[in-house]
Amino acid sequence: MSAQVAVAPVAMQRMLPPEEAARGDFYALLAGLFVTSPSGALLANLAAAGPIDGESALARAWQGLVDASKAMDAEAAAFEYDELFAAVGKAPISMYAGYYLGAPAIDHPRVRLQADLAALGLARAGRVSEPEDHLGGLFEVMRVLVAGAPGRKPSPLAEQKRFYQAYLEQAAAAFFTALAAAPQANYYRHAAAVGAAFMALESQSFQLD
Amino acid sequence: MKTAKPTNRRNFLLAAGLGGAGVAAAVVTGTRKPGREKIAAAEAQPSGYHVTEHIQKYYKTTEI
Repeated sequence: MSAQVAVAPVAMQRMLPPEEAARGDFYALLAGLFVTSPSGALLANLAAAGPIDGESALARAWQGLVDASKAMDAEAAAFEYDELFAAVGKAPISMYAGYYLGAPAIDHPRVRLQADLAALGLARAGRVSEPEDHLGGLFEVMRVLVAGAPGRKPSPLAEQKRFYQAYLEQAAAAFFTALAAAPQANYYRHAAAVGAAFMALESQSFQLD
Repeated sequence: MKTAKPTNRRNFLLAAGLGGAGVAAAVVTGTRKPGREKIAAAEAQPSGYHVTEHIQKYYKTTEI
């Protein structure tokens, strides 16, 4: 007696090297912290996360964020997020890359971003109302470029580097500096420290290729 | 003879601590929701984080 076995095609996804997967995770984390305020689940997982080995700036900042997450909950995080980034009138801290790049209206990065995103096969999701240069969205774009997505391979490093240097490097550094100094920032000071340390690593690592 | 692929960037990232499982674990969606007792725990074990006046005021507004 013979058994017939239906063999379904299996989509093989190439595993990312651990350091590249970690880069993707960091971008996902930054998106999770800055697209909107962190969910209770994200805070809980951060609170339970292990340390990063070593004495690097990233390791220290990471531990600060882990410890702060143990003392934070989603409601308080949302309150702080709104105070920092969504205050009535002018928010204390801008979340838009154009603000930090001194963007002139005639050559605003949003104009180039829309074309660049289209060339990369990416676009703002229909439900998203924020402009393309929202830093949370830019972190999300980098996550996709670094780690890929269902049906999409990671982008070549040169493409990641070009996008990073064009839209994130200068703006994110200035954003995290401003956020760390904001008197309204408490939990988000720790998020800024992680973001700044990670961006510094990204900038340095892109110089090594 | 096969030459090794340059790994400067890779070594740099690994030396900086990227590659550990901590971040990956942190961004995976979970279900546990920390409650207010977390604040008290943090106050008992100083970590650099502090509960500001605005957070305390906020909590007062949520009390039933």
